[in-house]
Amino acid sequence: MDEKKYQSKYKRVGQPYDRKDAREKVTGQAVYTYDLELPGMLHARCLLSPYARAKIVSIDTSKAKALPGVRVVLTGEDSDILVGLYMQDKRVLSKGETRYQGDVVAAVAADDEETAERAVSLLEVVYEPLEPVHNVDEALEGKILVHDDINDLKHYVGVFFPQKDSNIASWNKSKKGDLDKAFAEADLVVENEFSLPAVAHVPMETHVSIVQADPYSNKLKIWTSAQSPFAIRQIMADSFGISESDVEVHIPYVGGGFGGKAGIHLEPLATLLSKAAGGLPVKVRATREQEFNQLPTRAGMRGRIKTGVTKEGKITAIKADYDWDSGAYADYGVNVGKTAVYSGIGPYKVDNASIDSKTIYTNKVFSTAYRGFGHLETHWSIERQIDILSQKLGIDPYDFRMMNLLEPGAETMSGEEITESSGSPKDCLTAVVKEIGWTGRKTEEERQREWKTGKVRGKGFAMLQKAPAMPANTASSVIMQMNGDGHVKMMIGAVDIGQGAITALAQIAAQELDIPIEHIEISAEIDTRANPYDWNTVASKLTFMGGNAVIKASREMLSKMKAVAAQALRTDPENLLHANGEIFHRHNPNRRMSYKDVALGYMYPNGTGIGGPLISSGSSIADGLTNLHPETGQGYPAAVWTFGAHAVEIEVDVETGVITVLKVASAFDIGQVINEKLVYGQICGGVLQGLGSAILEGYKFNDKLQLMNPSFTDNKIPTMKDVPIEVVPIYIENPQHNGPYGARGVGEHPMISVPSAVGNAVYDALGINFHVLPLSPEAIALGIASGKKSILCTDVDCLPGH
Amino acid sequence: MDKECSMYKEHVESGKRKVTLSLTVNGRHVVRDVDPNMTLLHFLRDNLKLIGTKEACGEGECGACTVIMNGKAVTSCIILAVEAEGAQITTVEGLAKDGKLSILQEEFISQDALQCGFCTPGFLMSTRALLDNNPNPTDEEIIEALSGNLCRCTGYIPILKAVKRTIERERKESGF
Amino acid sequence: MISRFTYFKPHNLNEAVQYLEKEENAFVLAGGTDLMILLRRNLINAEHILDIKALPEMDLFNFVDGAGLTIGASVVVNRVVDSEVVSAKYPALHQAAASLASFQLRNRATVVGNICNASPGADLPPALLVYDAVVNITGPQGTRQVPLNEFFTGVKRTVLQRGELVVSVQLPEPGAGDKSVYLRQARLRGHDLATVGIACRLKPDGKVAIGIGAVAPTPKRLFALEDKINERGISKETIEWAAQEIREHIHPITDVRSSAQYRLQIASVLLKRGLLSLIGKEE
Repeated sequence: MDEKKYQSKYKRVGQPYDRKDAREKVTGQAVYTYDLELPGMLHARCLLSPYARAKIVSIDTSKAKALPGVRVVLTGEDSDILVGLYMQDKRVLSKGETRYQGDVVAAVAADDEETAERAVSLLEVVYEPLEPVHNVDEALEGKILVHDDINDLKHYVGVFFPQKDSNIASWNKSKKGDLDKAFAEADLVVENEFSLPAVAHVPMETHVSIVQADPYSNKLKIWTSAQSPFAIRQIMADSFGISESDVEVHIPYVGGGFGGKAGIHLEPLATLLSKAAGGLPVKVRATREQEFNQLPTRAGMRGRIKTGVTKEGKITAIKADYDWDSGAYADYGVNVGKTAVYSGIGPYKVDNASIDSKTIYTNKVFSTAYRGFGHLETHWSIERQIDILSQKLGIDPYDFRMMNLLEPGAETMSGEEITESSGSPKDCLTAVVKEIGWTGRKTEEERQREWKTGKVRGKGFAMLQKAPAMPANTASSVIMQMNGDGHVKMMIGAVDIGQGAITALAQIAAQELDIPIEHIEISAEIDTRANPYDWNTVASKLTFMGGNAVIKASREMLSKMKAVAAQALRTDPENLLHANGEIFHRHNPNRRMSYKDVALGYMYPNGTGIGGPLISSGSSIADGLTNLHPETGQGYPAAVWTFGAHAVEIEVDVETGVITVLKVASAFDIGQVINEKLVYGQICGGVLQGLGSAILEGYKFNDKLQLMNPSFTDNKIPTMKDVPIEVVPIYIENPQHNGPYGARGVGEHPMISVPSAVGNAVYDALGINFHVLPLSPEAIALGIASGKKSILCTDVDCLPGH
Repeated sequence: MDKECSMYKEHVESGKRKVTLSLTVNGRHVVRDVDPNMTLLHFLRDNLKLIGTKEACGEGECGACTVIMNGKAVTSCIILAVEAEGAQITTVEGLAKDGKLSILQEEFISQDALQCGFCTPGFLMSTRALLDNNPNPTDEEIIEALSGNLCRCTGYIPILKAVKRTIERERKESGF
Repeated sequence: MISRFTYFKPHNLNEAVQYLEKEENAFVLAGGTDLMILLRRNLINAEHILDIKALPEMDLFNFVDGAGLTIGASVVVNRVVDSEVVSAKYPALHQAAASLASFQLRNRATVVGNICNASPGADLPPALLVYDAVVNITGPQGTRQVPLNEFFTGVKRTVLQRGELVVSVQLPEPGAGDKSVYLRQARLRGHDLATVGIACRLKPDGKVAIGIGAVAPTPKRLFALEDKINERGISKETIEWAAQEIREHIHPITDVRSSAQYRLQIASVLLKRGLLSLIGKEE
């Protein structure tokens, strides 16, 4: 694959530098929260509810407490603290009623893990199982409420809309144009339903948090495997009624996040345990089973799309209804539901559209942020619908998309005008379609011929779009300090969870300051006492927002350096240029000095000092964004769009249903590659994670809503054997006018629409439209065996909630 | 009073169960008393403070805890420490020599065969065990040896590249 | 793991048997790939662990002309995978062994452990069954041989009595021209339990043997189906017929891994492909 090496026009931005923390990771030196031990630290274990919904009749903790080595046993009786990023609907420990199989009923802190585990086995709990809410349809009927206090839940008013006396945590809407008229006038109206199950993030390091609650004050010290130290600080302060400044958060190396560690998870429990243990540090670590069973997932979702088109192929109306099976708590999932209303029609121009996105409570493990933030799910519906429309119209799916894709002058769902700077969906689609050699759909004759061999090939493609789903006032910041040796220490508030944050930002700094990247000192470890604020490390926003902050800080540092150097060189700062770690006079380069000569102030030959230690900062706040109108969803939610497309070629074994992915071509308009190795890594990783959702992954629940696959035995992720035979990354670079060096984010995008492309390829191969993920060997084989041309949600026994 | 009595009793019983274990880890001989129910993984991490080897599932399904035991790649989370009596164990900490990274580690860095890094020690040890036994494996043999190691970040392609470049460089070094 | 146990690794087989008979809650440890999971999940309470890996009888792994193949209880699966003799004489066993779990696990898991764990979907039993494997057991009452076919009594249950140990499993020598194959279906290409695993053997006299896993409480031979095939004589037409007929001979269940319907389909497909490959007429 080294054939076409990416060439950058910049000295440092775009160069394929090694990751700055790679050495620590290949030597075993990197310390993760999982590895941390603090003096006096206790180890905790949780007791999870075995029932989806049950009354807790009694808990006898006496035997557990009597076990030598046990320090603390907590149940729901011990605390009424409520937690929730957007809606405070979650107790730290269940009281009265459990809401999902996996809900925490009790927790033990002991001298070591084995003792804690033993103590948990000695807890005696009496449950009275209750009828649970199984799926979104039951939830919408509303006969049983998952939260009977839904009317009173504290939440962000005007942003989320819990429905009275229901299981709808939020009903978000967007609407434009005149849908009724548009549907009435359309030549063809097509309605379809699609669905996909919950899947797990599967970070290799499970969730783990250590909290030391100071017994003499409100102060909390937290070490945690998490993506958002400042969000943790804010939510902990809110839930515990203390000030943000009382909460100190440390993030060591993180073993993967994928959105599952974007919010707040085990920290409140560890806090309660530490407080009860007189302030000793307590480590709460999820076992892999608990990671699947207790910690949140991506939501299952059902999408209903109704589309109106003209016979020439212009889309005139889209009505989308998204029902998110968000499980027992709103957590971050409710924001995923909200985000769908401005992004959930895909990168298409439509004058008349509506999106109704309902985040729904059921009695299952709850949902949270997940790579793609709802976009893989909505694009499963949208891009399969687009393909079905093109089938019915008899128009080539490439031509059909090209007719309807967003382009400069068109408006997004929320009314934002697309410009040349937004990036080009068309460039992405054209690139991938060319790469897989698309020559049009397979004919039925070709299909039958291939079918006789037992293996049929197919090609399919799908579009994607995503902007960072973040508050309108999202901010990133960076502080820079020059060391005496001319190296620059850089502190950011975002977490390197493996995406390469520290390397990409260091490259931008190195480019601006024109010093080697080795001279940028940046650590993957964050400490809120020292590192400056960053909203959350999510949304693929860091390169864009953090990058801009780095540019500001770099330029401020240069200007401060030049101010001092100008004095020392007896000239005006305007006359000074910088290059290769030196400052020099533009007309007489002999008048020069190196950065380190001014790093700690400049000292004249007679000893007098001027200037001072060089410190600079950069703050970047999202520019011109607004909240969305609560009824119409109009506004400016998107700081930067990244458009993309995937094209895949597959081969299907028609007897076993096994799909072999021969080739994946993925194009993203990222504006400017900051580091090709890092982008390539995101593409390889995201594509494979997308394939996992496409053909393999999915939570399975029995009729009591107990999770049937809570371990790697039956909850599988792709291995090295499951990699496509060829993955071709394509970097489109139409610059983003306000992006750092024109760059846009790309962390989540490689995963989005992979299942859609595969589903479309399956149609090309088999002539069968599948509406439900995953496209497992069983689903394909039984779909073929059924003789049906469409395998609908009702045909498959795996709707969300089943 | 009861808790104190059972504490004492447990301590005595624990003493009776303990076994003296002696083995070689990264070339260094160690002798420790261990409770038989301690896994090799926990022994390496908690007793010897070699934290490079990670637990990501505890059931042998993910490979993150892979070490080399008597020349073979094994998942240390499902091996009892006492089973390693007399064994030669190599962990990730044993790959670099005299302050110099091994070729394998260098290629993992250069090919960006890691992102969050949590699965990396396991991959390095699986690869090391493979190449120690077979310096010139086919692509199929490489994938067979490594597919017991799960990674959620990289999509595996950069790892495969790193392994192949290592094979080339190690062959050159050894004069093939 | 909350079990607390003493650990005993004898070098003498009698000591091992006595220990197993005498001690309460005693479990045998070979590769540990099954036992350690049970311990970790606290599905068993172990007070005594008997490590058999130092018993010389267990380490036997040889092929003797006339007698056949002996696989001792501590022989790990990768040793079987690497064995040229197994590849040459018992190809289905080679393929089944190569498909088991992952590379690291195969460095520890043992053939006998796979048998004794007696999982309905275990990979090795179908291949061993078509070769009429015999299990050599030793116990307080002495030694006995049990055909593998009679060894499994139910889901994760065997004929082993208290104090009994499997010392080895033995496969008679197949005749010249004997062929076999093992095919399996899983949810992904990476390591997974088998949705269905099937071993087909074509003996020199033209008779077939079929062993199958994951479609019944135990791995089993499909004797009735074999008889019908053998009556008709093996041919492409018989194979097409057998691929449908097998659906009458197995009653798989629906579980988290697969529906019964898919298992029936896969059993049919794998049987067809397996038998066709043995008569050299792969499609």
